[in-house]
Amino acid sequence: MLQQKADHDNENRFELFLLDEGQQKVEEKAETRVPNTSVFTFNKEDHTLGNLLAQRLLKNPAVMFAAYKVPHPLFATFELRVQTDGTVTPKEAVMETCRLVIQDLSRLNESFQTEWLGKRIVSEGEVERQQREHNNY
Amino acid sequence: MDYDPEGGSINVRFLQADSQRANFIVQNFNLETANALRRTMLAEIPTLAIDVVEVRDNTSVLADEFVCHRLGLVPLSSTGVEELLYARDCDCDGYCDNCSVTLTLNAKCTGSEIMKVYARDLVIESRTPNDELGKPVITDAEGTGSCIVKLRRGQAINMKCIAKKGIAKEHAKWAPSAAIGFEYDPANKLHHLDYWFEEDPEKEWPKDEARINLDGGPPNPDEEFKYDAVPTRFFYDVETVGGIPPDQIVQQGIAVLQVKLAGVLKALSGGTGDAEDFGGAQSPGANGDGYGGMDAGGYTPVGGPAGGYGGASSWGGAAQGGTTPYGATPYGQNW
Repeated sequence: MLQQKADHDNENRFELFLLDEGQQKVEEKAETRVPNTSVFTFNKEDHTLGNLLAQRLLKNPAVMFAAYKVPHPLFATFELRVQTDGTVTPKEAVMETCRLVIQDLSRLNESFQTEWLGKRIVSEGEVERQQREHNNY
Repeated sequence: MDYDPEGGSINVRFLQADSQRANFIVQNFNLETANALRRTMLAEIPTLAIDVVEVRDNTSVLADEFVCHRLGLVPLSSTGVEELLYARDCDCDGYCDNCSVTLTLNAKCTGSEIMKVYARDLVIESRTPNDELGKPVITDAEGTGSCIVKLRRGQAINMKCIAKKGIAKEHAKWAPSAAIGFEYDPANKLHHLDYWFEEDPEKEWPKDEARINLDGGPPNPDEEFKYDAVPTRFFYDVETVGGIPPDQIVQQGIAVLQVKLAGVLKALSGGTGDAEDFGGAQSPGANGDGYGGMDAGGYTPVGGPAGGYGGASSWGGAAQGGTTPYGATPYGQNW
């Protein structure tokens, strides 16, 4: 009997999103030459999180600089550099950003659920009405 | 800087909602979060797909690996995949009922007619958490699903397919959505697009009047160009493959993204969190399990009232949340 993978591509594609043995999700490295600056290395993450955090951090008035880069497209990692004005540490700024995005998403989800139910009821009612009219023939 | 100059909170408006697609507008949102959600829905929602195939017999004209590839792409119902473990996180050797669904495809052509083997001929053999999980998705009028192989008289096919949980980052067969439409600023008022043209882009490019009207109408030629304007209204069109209903794709996408962010928070807030709490396992879903689990259903990241995430954190216990000196931000909550 022959066992076959359902596809023949790269066997280790899960390396894109599974942390290696002992690897940390986020590593912070303080930038010694510039005050209040850190470079965060996110492992097994991509533009989804990189762009989200970098752009969102820029909306924080305490953040002076925020940008991310993917050092190499074949390695699932990105570096986020954050500089603050000193009222908060870069780490606190990133954490606060995460919290605010989570809140925003909760709000979005709430609105999505109510509107979805509403729209479903309306469109189902519509179908029913059409059927009724059809049957009255 | 406020990303919502008009004020008003994040809200959703539906254009179409049925079992196949969710066509909606998100208002008072921001581009980076909207795009992150789009990317999450595309690539990081767990679904079920055939991953390993045991070929017992194949005398069809198609090669084993060819048929196996086709089997992998057959959409299966993913209702309740949360209850399934990732095979790599499971204690078992290879696969078991806790981390996989076994289907068999067994057909032999005995008549003189060409026999078609369809997705509906996949039969679930294993014990599944619910009746739906693993069923081939059938949406066509004939109720057959897609054609996998054709058999001539005397040809036979007999395969044991092991369907596992996975995400589309690993292979596109695990993608929950067929396609996700995403658009903002259909009238190009922000000048994010630079249209190519022969003489006049206004005349040469088609306009989506309906969408432009939904997005505040066509640009006013007398108005000065606002160089610092940002998009706030986003058009999504989520179409499902059939494994997960479209509304679930969106809700799961939101939940997966929240769990991802919560994971960053956890890693930054000391990172030494209880090994037991957050699990040694590293699957993206397993990450969620640590917080009571979006899978286990104890803690739903999106459940509580908006803002429930600010102060007393629902995921970290004492690790962070109330203890940060920035519970009350010195710069307000608007950004």
